[in-house]
Amino acid sequence: MQDIRLRAGTAALLSLAAFTSIWGAAVVFIWWLIFSRPLKVLRKMRRVIPAIILIAFFGFVLELTGGGGISYCLRMTVIILIGAWVYTGYQQGEFLRLWVWLLGKKTGFDLGMIAEIGMQSLELMLSDFSRIRQAQELKGTIWGLRSLVPSGSILVHGALRRADETAELMAVRGYTHGGSYCPEFETPMKDIIAGIAALCMGIIAFIPVSEFFILYH
Amino acid sequence: MEVPVLKVSLAGIRAVRGGWSLSAQGIFEEGIHLISGDVGSGKSTLAHLMAGFFPPVSGTVEREGIASVMIVFQFPEFHVTGPDLERECKEWGVDPGTVLAAAGLTGRERANPLDLSRGELKRLILACVLAKDYDLLILDEPFSSLDCAEKERLCMTLSGRKRGITIIFTHEKAHFPRVDRIWEIQGGVLYDRGRLPSALGHWDHAPVIVKSLIARGKVPANISQADLLEAACRT
Repeated sequence: MQDIRLRAGTAALLSLAAFTSIWGAAVVFIWWLIFSRPLKVLRKMRRVIPAIILIAFFGFVLELTGGGGISYCLRMTVIILIGAWVYTGYQQGEFLRLWVWLLGKKTGFDLGMIAEIGMQSLELMLSDFSRIRQAQELKGTIWGLRSLVPSGSILVHGALRRADETAELMAVRGYTHGGSYCPEFETPMKDIIAGIAALCMGIIAFIPVSEFFILYH
Repeated sequence: MEVPVLKVSLAGIRAVRGGWSLSAQGIFEEGIHLISGDVGSGKSTLAHLMAGFFPPVSGTVEREGIASVMIVFQFPEFHVTGPDLERECKEWGVDPGTVLAAAGLTGRERANPLDLSRGELKRLILACVLAKDYDLLILDEPFSSLDCAEKERLCMTLSGRKRGITIIFTHEKAHFPRVDRIWEIQGGVLYDRGRLPSALGHWDHAPVIVKSLIARGKVPANISQADLLEAACRT
């Protein structure tokens, strides 16, 4: 989906639908299979697999201790897959366009810029994380829980340093609040079709299953 | 006891990043190799490839007799694992007293490595690495964040390395150790300019002073400050 307005709206609707019930998660999963180009998403976002394993672990613990773990695991897995789809379609500058379109050139611009800086920071942190792991392997540090603390410190420290530098640079350049930006969007037909399909899936997800079958009969 | 031959061979390798690619071919034997190239020419990509972090899309990187490999990244904070300087040195397996003295950080044993300036941290990491003996040592922009005095000190230490393969990736134009061979990356291709001093005549990234000395017929024996000074004062 090229149009960030549709992508963000679709993601919000589908995440809500998936979170509401297993039935919702099932229809959202079908949408994800049809419209998100799942193989491309999984290839580009291999990190979703450990995230799903982690969720499965917590789901298992929840199932053993109080029940409902399987439902939680399935719903969260679908939400993670939707998140991965949004992330893999990200193009630089599109959150700025989205927020300016939503809230205008003052608050919208500020929120959009924060989102863009956040996305850039995330990219840099992922690349830093891979460097840290490589450095630790060469140093002979066995990767595990013990190495997570220094890695986390380096990542947080680096992110704070970059944020500090960016803030100082913006202040020096006279930034106070808002900016002038005219967002433009491209909305191809396939985006509209996927959006309508998501809306239908959302409606189906919120109709109780029993009602759906009564109507059918 | 027979001393193993140390060698890294790049057999027609090609690395691709987005719309950009790098091709390299050559053999790196024991000694100090300098790989120069502009910023963004692919030096770090080649350094990481030679360190074995990712495979080339075609060709092979073959290592012969190499038992230990180390790369020093351009940004030293990636190497940090210890909560203070003393522990950091211990995690490298080196004596904190000696290494902190070499890095000019004596008395700061309890300081957090991430609270050091980037230059200080670079000095610390380089001192830890150079206190050990690696068969293959790759230095990615080792001179960045260092002042002139520290660059010169690093050059002296590197010039003193007698064993192993040392590969220095840099766009530095003023400070160099004594090197055995010069390579350079141009237009996405790694070129072998040969051994010193004959390599100097083909070295496009040569510093102005080297080019100027050659133009005046005073070819330096090598590219360290002492060699350049000797050539400049030659009558």
